[in-house]
This record gives sequence, C-alpha cells and structure tokens, in this order.
Amino acid sequence: MQWAWLIPVFCFAAAPLIVVFGQKLPGKGAILSLLAITGGFVVFWIVLVNFLGASPTSSGCFTSEHTESLTCVYEQSWFHAADLELVWGIIIDPLTLVMLGLVTFVALMVQVYSLGYMKGDPKFGWYFAVHSLFAAAMLTLVLADNFLLLYVAWELVGICSYLLIGFWHERPSAREAAKKAFIVTRIGDVGLLIGILLLWREVGSFSMTEAFNAASTGAMSEGVTTAAALLLFLGAMGKSAQVPFHVWLPDAMEGPTPVSALIHAATMVVAGVFLVARAFPLFSAYDADPLLVVAIVGLVTALMASTIALVATDLKRILAYSTISHLGLMMLSLGAFGYTAAIFHLLAHGFAKALLFLGAGSVLHSTEELEIGRMGGLRKVMPLTAFVFSIGALSLGGIPILSGFWSKDEILVAVNDHRNAVFIVFGLITALMSALYMARATFIVFYGDIKQAMEHVHESPWQMIIPMALLAVLAAGFGFLSFNWPGNYDGIGSFVSFGEGHGFQFTWWLGILSAIMAVGSFIFAWMTYVKRRIALETITSKFAPVLKVVENKYYFDEVYQWVVDRVVLVFSGGIAWFDRAVVNDIAVNSPADSVRRLGFTLRLHVTGHVYSYTLAMVLGSVGLGVFWWIRST
Amino acid sequence: MVSLFYFQLLSAGLFSIGLYGVLARRSAVLIVMSIELMLNAVNINLVAAASHLEGRGSFVNFDGQIIAIFIITIAAAEVGLALAIILRIYRNRATVNVDEIDIMKW
Repeated sequence: MQWAWLIPVFCFAAAPLIVVFGQKLPGKGAILSLLAITGGFVVFWIVLVNFLGASPTSSGCFTSEHTESLTCVYEQSWFHAADLELVWGIIIDPLTLVMLGLVTFVALMVQVYSLGYMKGDPKFGWYFAVHSLFAAAMLTLVLADNFLLLYVAWELVGICSYLLIGFWHERPSAREAAKKAFIVTRIGDVGLLIGILLLWREVGSFSMTEAFNAASTGAMSEGVTTAAALLLFLGAMGKSAQVPFHVWLPDAMEGPTPVSALIHAATMVVAGVFLVARAFPLFSAYDADPLLVVAIVGLVTALMASTIALVATDLKRILAYSTISHLGLMMLSLGAFGYTAAIFHLLAHGFAKALLFLGAGSVLHSTEELEIGRMGGLRKVMPLTAFVFSIGALSLGGIPILSGFWSKDEILVAVNDHRNAVFIVFGLITALMSALYMARATFIVFYGDIKQAMEHVHESPWQMIIPMALLAVLAAGFGFLSFNWPGNYDGIGSFVSFGEGHGFQFTWWLGILSAIMAVGSFIFAWMTYVKRRIALETITSKFAPVLKVVENKYYFDEVYQWVVDRVVLVFSGGIAWFDRAVVNDIAVNSPADSVRRLGFTLRLHVTGHVYSYTLAMVLGSVGLGVFWWIRST
Repeated sequence: MVSLFYFQLLSAGLFSIGLYGVLARRSAVLIVMSIELMLNAVNINLVAAASHLEGRGSFVNFDGQIIAIFIITIAAAEVGLALAIILRIYRNRATVNVDEIDIMKW
C-alpha cells in the first residue's frame, strides 16, 4: 500500500515524455498516456485490495479518530530549513480510495474516447500530455496528506484546466474562457492559501491530521477553526463553481468535449467537494457553524443553476449548468452532515456526467451542432449514442433503480434529518428540475421527428462507443453499491463515512415522492417535446419577465462585467495614474532630473584651457597657504 | 656668508617669473620652460637653506642637496616626456598653442 504514490507518478512521467518525444512515439504519445493511466488504474485496484485486507495494526495504519475509519499514512521528510521541517506523504482512507477509483477510471475512459474524438487534430500529442498531467495532478490532490502538497496539486489542476479549456486557442472565445476559468478559480484559491497559512500558523505544520486534532481537542480556538474552514471553503467554491464563482464553468465548454467530461466528472470541479469532505473535521468542529454556510451556498447554487439549465438551448451548456446544480447538491449534502451521501453522489454523478458529456461530444462530432433546437430524432441515426445518453439522463434525473436516484435520495435524507424544512423543500424542487432539464435535453435531441439536415449523420467510431457503454453500465448500476448485500458488504455507508459507519438509509415518503417527481417530469417532457400534447408557450408566456432573467443567467456575467469595467478598471486606472504621476514622475524622475540639470550646469567649469586649470591650482594653493597662515597665528 | 634672505628673494623672484610664464604663455614649449624655471627656483631655495643649516657635531646636513638632485633628475625625465607629448600634438594638430588644444572637456 505504501506504493500507492505510484498512481500519479505514471501520469506525471508520461506528460513530459509525450511533449518531448511525442512525434516519435507510437500513436503520437497517446499509447503512452493510455498505458500510464491504465497503470494507475491497476495500482488502484492493488491498493484497494490491500486496504480491504489491512487492519489498524498494519504498518502506517490506524483508526482515524475523526472519520472513525481505517486510515493509512506514509510520510517522508521533504526538507528541513532551520526548525521548519516539511514532510510530504500520502494518506489512504476510504475517501481517497473512492476518489482514486473515480479519477483513474473516468480519465481512462475519456482518453480512450479521445482517441476517436481528437483523431487528426494537429495538437494530438499535446492534448494527451496535458491530459496525463491533469489526471496526475488530481490523483496527487486526493492522495495528499498535507495541505502544502494539496495546494501544489490544486494549482496544477488549475493550470491544466486552463491549458485544456484554451486548447483551441486560435479561437478568441476559447482564450477568453480559459482566462476566465483560471482567474475566477484563482480568486477562491487565494482564500484557500490564506486558510492553509492560517492553519500552519496555528498548528505549526501543514499536516492535515494535526490540524484536525488541534480543532477537535480544542487546541485551536473556535474562531480560528471557523475562519480556516470558511477560507478553505472559499477555495472549494472557486473550484467547484459555487455561487458566485460559478460563471467560469459554462464557458469552459470552449475546450474539446472530452475535456469537459473530465473536468465535470472526475477532476477539477469535484476537487472542491473533495476538499470540504477531506477537511470535514474542521468544518464540523465546535458547533459546525461553517457547515451551515456550506449548506446555504450549495442550496442557492443548486437552485439557481438548475433553473438556468431548464432554459438553456446549448446542449453542453445544459450539461454544464446541470453539473453546477449537482455540485450544489453535494455541497448541500455536506452542509447537512451527509458526508457519505455527498461522496456517493459525487461518484454517481461523475459516472453519469462523464457519460452525458461523452454523448454530447459524440453528437457534436457527428453533427457539428450544439443548439438543441436544430437537432431532433437523432435516435434513428445514432442509436447507440442515443441509448447510452438516455441512460445517463435517466440516472441523473433520478429515475428509480438507476444510481442517480439512490444517491440523490441519500442527500435528501441527510438534509431532512439535519436541516429545516426550507432546505428539504428547495432540495426537492432542485431534484424535480434536474429531472426536467435532463428529460428536455434528451427528448429534444434524440427523440421525435428527425430534422432534414440530420439525416446524413452517422454513428461515432468504436473508440468513442466503448467508453460510453462502460460508463453507462456504472451510471445505471452503481447505485446498487449503496445497499446492504448478503455477505460482508454493508453498503457504501459502512465504507466511506464520517463518524460511525451506517448502512443503507431510506426514508419511504421521500423516496416515493422523489420517484414520482422524476417519473412525472420525464412524462411531462415526453408529452411536451415528443408528442407535443402540451403547448409550452401558454406556460412560458405567463412567466415571461422571470424567464428573461433566467435566460440571461441572472445577469451574473453582466454584473461582473459592470463591476470590472466600472469599479476594478476605474480603481486600477487611479492606481496607474498615481504610479505614473506620483511614483514615477515625482518620486523617481524628478530627483534624477534635478541631478542631471545640476550636472549640465556644473560641467561648464571644465573649459579644456590649461591656464584656467593652472590658475585654479595656483589660487587654491595660495588660498590654502593663507588659510593655514591665519590659523597658525 | 651671504644671508639666506637674498637666496630666498632670488628663489621667489624666479618662481614668480616661472608662474607668470605658465599662466600667461600660449606656447606649450614655453610653458614647459617656465615649469623648469619654477623647479629650479625651488632647487635654489632648498640648497641655500641646507647650507645654512647647523650641522650636529661633525655631521653636515645634506638633505636639501639630495632633494635638489632628485628634482633635477625627475625634471629631466619630465622634460623629455613633455617634449615628446608636445611633438605628438604638433604632428597631429600643427600647433602647440594650448588655447587651441581644448577638446578634453565636458
């Protein structure tokens, strides 16, 4: 198990090799990249098997007093400087393991898919190099046992997302989107960095375990713990696209579609949820006040994003807002002490969303079209894509027995148990809307009558179909892992949990209600978009003003643009003026100018005539003599 | 014995003439000659002062003469150098008028 650090190392090694030798390697480096991630995936299974066989007495292992589950830490000294010692190491606990599984599997699937999708792209090798680095950074992030290593990996994830979103940087919109993603997440990262430094100041080390101990034993005061938790959450909000930092994620569509699948499912956005889960002892210490903030931010994000997803007309944008909404649900779940539910939903959503994005990519690849209004009936020409996409949509929409239903239900149970009625009502509304927008996207794109322009479309190649099929199996069946099965398996709640593990939880009225809502939404959407029995215009016309606000994404971008133009730029203009006029002209240039003018005047005494020098010398000597004579008398 | 005062008067007179020459003459050669005059004025002063010094016992103080010999030696070397420089300047600029040799400024 101490060899778990190999998982990211394969990918880390692959990235520069592909960049340097890419053109000479078989498949322009794609094979190497695939081998690296496959190696990571294999090592993950070895580590998992070892972990399940390990006990608290195994070397490096102990039962964590925070999560109350088996935890193994392997550390090594990095360097000392005076009395500062930095260690770097890996932590292996159930949370790490499920994340490792998700990241390696989804990254592998996306890379196989990319073989078909990116075929013929001039920067094919570079794509796989950055892809490897992205996966490596995310794997390091989940393995890190101290905040410093986590922060390094966190920033690496950020820069890789920048590179991949701006992959087609010939397009101005891609450049803008890449910059937007990088800058917006950076704002949150500043909070994360301050939080980490605050913990370091209080605890004296970057170790997560020590920080958690300090919080739970009371060595760290309540104020500091709360502040640190909220600062960490600021970083998580940036990465996980929570309100008000969500604006970068829809624009991240500018990258190649498989990249979106990776960002939305396995890397990048789930890093924020992971961070909150990892630092859960900080959030839940004392009165767990930060968790209320987490819950509120999550709920607002989930509600807002799902309303936008309902009216968006770009297939990838619908999926992007759906991701934001589901990230909000995960945060809401964490905020309601639903640790297991949040992680379970993270996994279920990850598989489903990767599948949906790969499906959207397949559609885009064949039709070169993303506006759902111009598509329709694609089921007839792309039956496989339509089938797997529908499974993903049904799963995410929460149709019973598919995995999305179970995970969403777990979240609702947690919210029902720990938060008041407002949260559960809005949580249910979000769940309803998530079923509606998934149904809308699926039915408009794949069902109904086929459009004339779409008849020539053909199915995608096998490299793209196989990953989608595998993901579809998980998106459909992953939910069964949540049950107590006969034998030793007590459901995912007994594996990934915070505090005492628990079995499968099910509240009948919630389950039945959400099932009815999900099925009802799909039937409603079927009637509206396929059978056209219900005219949508009669409903929308009544809510026209509200709809306009939602269609404009609540004017977040406009407000930010206004703030940047009117506040930031004016303020920076003032600073720039101060710099030019005061710092540069008055403080720096004016002394220099006066010295120069003085020099220009004084140089005139150097005439070049010998007699003037001689005269000065004589007068000087006489003057000195006279001075000396006067002094001596 | 002639009083030291007259030697010093002669020395001062020669020095002043030399100084006037250095300040007033335009020709570089004449300036060098004037410098020689000033050096010799100093030599006279030194030798005269030395010969008027009281010796201690049988020891006679020759310091002034020794310094004068040094000055004569160095003056000879200096004249050689100065004349060589003046010659080069003349070759380059066809003049030894120091008023016209004024490019070493600013």
